[in-house]
Parts: sequence; structure tokens; C-alpha cells
Amino acid sequence: MREALIRNGRLHLLDGIEPMDVRESGRESADDAISNATPTKEAADRASSRTPERSGPPRPLGVVMAAATVLCLAAAFLHVLLVFLYVAPPNTISQRYSSQIYGWVEPLFQQNWKLFAPNPESVNRQILARTMQTAPDGTEQVSDWFDLTAVDASAIEHNLFPSHTAQNMLRVAWSNYLDWHGSDDRSHSQRALMMKEYLRNIAVDRVAAQRHSTFEAIQLQVITRPIAASAAADSAERTARPPIDTRYLPWWKAGAHEN
Amino acid sequence: MKTEQTPFVPTSPGRQAPRVTDNVKEWLRHQFGALHTALIEQPISLYAASVLRIGYGLLYLAFLLREFPHRDEIWGPDSPWTPALATQFFDLTGWFSILTLSDSRLYFEGCYALAVVTCALFMLGWRSRAVSVVFAIVVVSFHARALFMTDGGDNLMRLMAVYLCLTACGRRWSLDARRNRLRASTVYCASRSAGLGAPDLWCQLGAARRSLITVVHNCGMFVIAAQICIVYGAAGLYKVQGGLWGSGTALHYVVNLDLFQPWPMLSHMVDSQQMLVAVVGYLTVLLQVGFPFILFSRLKYVFVTMLFGMHLGIGVLLGMPVFAGAMIVADAVFLPDRFYRFLGRTWRRTFSRAALRRKGTTARTETPLVPARSTG
Repeated sequence: MREALIRNGRLHLLDGIEPMDVRESGRESADDAISNATPTKEAADRASSRTPERSGPPRPLGVVMAAATVLCLAAAFLHVLLVFLYVAPPNTISQRYSSQIYGWVEPLFQQNWKLFAPNPESVNRQILARTMQTAPDGTEQVSDWFDLTAVDASAIEHNLFPSHTAQNMLRVAWSNYLDWHGSDDRSHSQRALMMKEYLRNIAVDRVAAQRHSTFEAIQLQVITRPIAASAAADSAERTARPPIDTRYLPWWKAGAHEN
Repeated sequence: MKTEQTPFVPTSPGRQAPRVTDNVKEWLRHQFGALHTALIEQPISLYAASVLRIGYGLLYLAFLLREFPHRDEIWGPDSPWTPALATQFFDLTGWFSILTLSDSRLYFEGCYALAVVTCALFMLGWRSRAVSVVFAIVVVSFHARALFMTDGGDNLMRLMAVYLCLTACGRRWSLDARRNRLRASTVYCASRSAGLGAPDLWCQLGAARRSLITVVHNCGMFVIAAQICIVYGAAGLYKVQGGLWGSGTALHYVVNLDLFQPWPMLSHMVDSQQMLVAVVGYLTVLLQVGFPFILFSRLKYVFVTMLFGMHLGIGVLLGMPVFAGAMIVADAVFLPDRFYRFLGRTWRRTFSRAALRRKGTTARTETPLVPARSTG
């Protein structure tokens, strides 16, 4: 503790305080500290080696400072450790302490750095929508397919600063829908329901903005096109390319957003 | 912790203690001294912290202004991710956003305006500490409201905005610094303690406050640096597990993604260079994996320069300027203060030279002003 006091004294001075001030109160507290602790020579040497006749703030303040320093350091290291375990692949340690890790890191420090990893996505997804409207005579009229992805792609082309609405919105909404539904279009969880509603809202908004006509239901079609293997790829990589996949989602009622 | 223990080590004071323990103790003391200096006495990398402040303030401002036409679609009450969905999601996950406190359009426009003003003030370094907290709240709020529209760049900016609250990021290149310089150094205890005894304690509290700020700043900078290492380490090590990165063809797939192809001609040109694709792919992985390990060597300048080029490439080729900018600003943390001082000097020199040229020969008498300014 004594060291902390003396060091605080040093820093105290370096921080631009007039030596005159500190000397008076400082000496008292140094004497105090020295008389309380056992060996005196070292302390004196240490103090004199840098700043003779000077020493730190009163004891309680020094204690508080030392404690605060230790606390800050510990918190910083602990935070880095928890973030590391959160990011690292699941392992013995992170499984044992998972509640602590998730409790601290999520939501504020949530992160994911699988950027184009372990493999970059090697498919392009084209999402199209069509709408249905019941005519006055009772027949169902279905519109042509409207290419939502093409709109995004054309908004990105020749743009130095593409908007998140073009680059991320539909793409991330679909990948989240896929994560929570898999190949089954029934929503089995609250999250799945939310993702479905989000995807539907995006499609409804975009078609409505484009067509200015009312409709009762909307259906999405998702075409997954694998990117052709590079000419440099080996035969294994080339044969591993999946075929084109076309998926039709069920018709969804196209109500206004439930705000 | 150990500082508390050293004095109580029961060696007989001075005389016949074994030399080894003395040496060890001396060494330890020296180390603790150094650690202590590094930790409490000197705020580290003040310039780098300011570069982060300016960089992320500017970047988020640019992002907000760029999305101005889409602001309602992304964060507003009419977003497809409706306020109802957002609040429901917040209840599930613990996120928070000031944007969902009200569905009113007026409130949203107010928040957007607040965000723009906050970014500008943060960038300029006006009342940096207070504004940094507001900036963090703004960034977290806007991030959380549009969580399903974010990418790695937004994630990094959110983390850094939170960490920057801990740092003294307004000490350099800021309005705060300018104000302090103008006010000169007359405020300290010297004037206060002229006659009375009581201000002494006041002084010590002030000093304690300053050293606490320094400790928190240093810890904050450590967390920022460690976070960036985690980003690179994770991104690199995850890639190592991927077969396409191993075969050197990963970038072929990246440049062929429709939504990451703002300049199709350029993308196809890159794609046609198979060797280049393989070399850059391998280099990316090596740079990322290696980054945390070369930080304490001179090699880091090479790495930072190459990463700068890499991110510039990502920004242009893949159309991800926010992500690229966020990464470039993050890398800037690892450049030393003397580099930034050099930049500052160069800037001032060219700036004053330009001013001279503008004013013509009469300005030559004003040259003494320049060194005076540079001392600040």
C-alpha cells in the first residue's frame, strides 16, 4: 500500500500541481505511512530516488486509488477474456461458463467475425414476389413475378456508397428466415414468426411502392444460383457445386404493418 | 495487488538477505514502477484515441446522411421491422434503443437530428466526455433498431462507440483541446491554494480524479486494441478452417456475389487474374491470423499498411465503404503518437504555406505564429 501512496504522490506532481502544495500535506501522510509500516529504508530510497521530499495524498485517498486501479485492470482483462471466449469456437471453458459469458457479452458487446468465413457464400439469391387480388367477380388474379433482388442490384451498381437497404435488408432478412425455418415454412418459434413477418413486410412495402395497386396476398420465390467454380478450381470443387434451387414460399396475407 | 505485498515480505531489513531475492525484489520493483507509470501516470496514445473519435464520428455521420432518404425505412416508425417487432425482439434479447420509446414521426425525426448533431460534435471534440456518452447511446440505439440490416462494420462501430466512452478521446485535435490552450495553464491549484489550507484536499481530489481518468483511459485503450486483435484473429482463424480459402479460390466467389459488385467490370477483371486471386486470398488470411502477434514489432507498420490497402480494396470493390472505413480507423489505433504529431506538423506546415501563398508577401511577418501554435 505504501508504494501505491508514494507513487500516487509522484503522479500527483507530474500532473501539473505545484510542488509547494503537495509537500505539506504530503509529508504528513508519508510519515504516517512510514510509521505504520515496518521497513523504512526502502521506502525512503524509493521516494528519494525520483522525487525527494515529496509524497502522496492522504492515506484513504491512496487506498481508494489503488483499489480503483486494480478494479479497472481486472474489469478490462475480464471483459477481453469473456469476449474472447464468446468469439472462440465452443470449448470446454466456454461451455462451463456459458451463462456468465453470454450474460456479459450479449447484447451490447455481441459480435460475429465470420467475415466470408469459413467459406464465403458461393451462391447468389434472387428473390421475387407476386401478388394476388380477388376481382369483383370473385376470380383470383395473380400478378407477374416482380424481381426484388434486381432492384437492389441495380441500386448498388456504380454506387460508391450503396445503401444498407439495398445491400443488407432483404439479404439478411432472408438468411435469418432460413436460419429460423430451415426448409419448412411453418414458423415453430416466436423468432421464426418475427422473421417471417419482417420478410413479408419488406416484400409488401417494395411491391406496393412499385405497383401502386392493392393486393390481398403475396408470395415469394427464392432462386438460389450457385456461383460457377473458378477456372482455377480443382475437379472436386467443381463437382461440389450444387444445382440451381427454386423455392416457393406459401402465400401470405398482405395486411398493413401491425404497428 | 502485488504492490501491497512487497513491503511485507519478511526479509530482515537490509543486511544479510540473499542477493538473489534482493535482485528479484529490485527487478520486481522496477517492473511495478514501469507498469505503474504506464498505467496511472501517462494516458497512452492520446492521438490515436482522438483519431478514433474523429474517424468514427465522421463515419457514422456519413452513414446517417447517406441513409437520409432511407431513414424511415431503416429506423423509422414505417420500417418493415416495425416498432412492435423491434420491442418484441428487445424483450427477448435485452437490447435497448431510444428509437422505440415512441412511434411518433416527430420523435423519430428529432432522434435522427440528435444523432446527426451528436456525430458532428463528437467528431469536432466538443465536451468530448459527455458527447462520447451520448454518441454511444445514439450508435447503440440506431444499431439495435435496425439490427437485421447491419454488417461487420456497424458491429465494430457500435463496440468502439461504447469503448470510447472510457477514453480521454478529446485531448488532441479537438475543440476541447483548443479551449484549454486558449484558457492557458492558470487554472491549477497554484492560484487556489494561495492562502487557505482547505484547497489542499481539493487539489488532491483533483489529482486523484485525473489519475483515475488516466487509468480508465489506459484500460479503455487496452480493451480497444484487444478487441481489434480478436476481430482479426477470429476472422483469420475461421477462414483457415474453410476449404475455399485453402484452395485459393475464395475471392473468386466473393467478387461474384451480386450484391457486392458495384463495379462489375472491375470485379470481373480481378476475377480473371487467378494468380492474383490466390495470392490476395492467402495474404488476407496470413495478415489476419498474424496481426495479433506482430503488434510489438516494427513489422506492424508493414501489416497496417497492407491491411489499409486490403480494406480500401474491400471498400471499393465490394461496395462496403462503412465496413472498410471502420476497419481502417480501428487499425489507426496501433500507430504511435509520434506518427500523428508528425502528421500534425506536416499538416500545419502545408496549411500555413498555403495561407502564406494566399496572403502574398505581407504574410511573411506572421510566420512566428506558426511555432507558437505548434506547441499546443
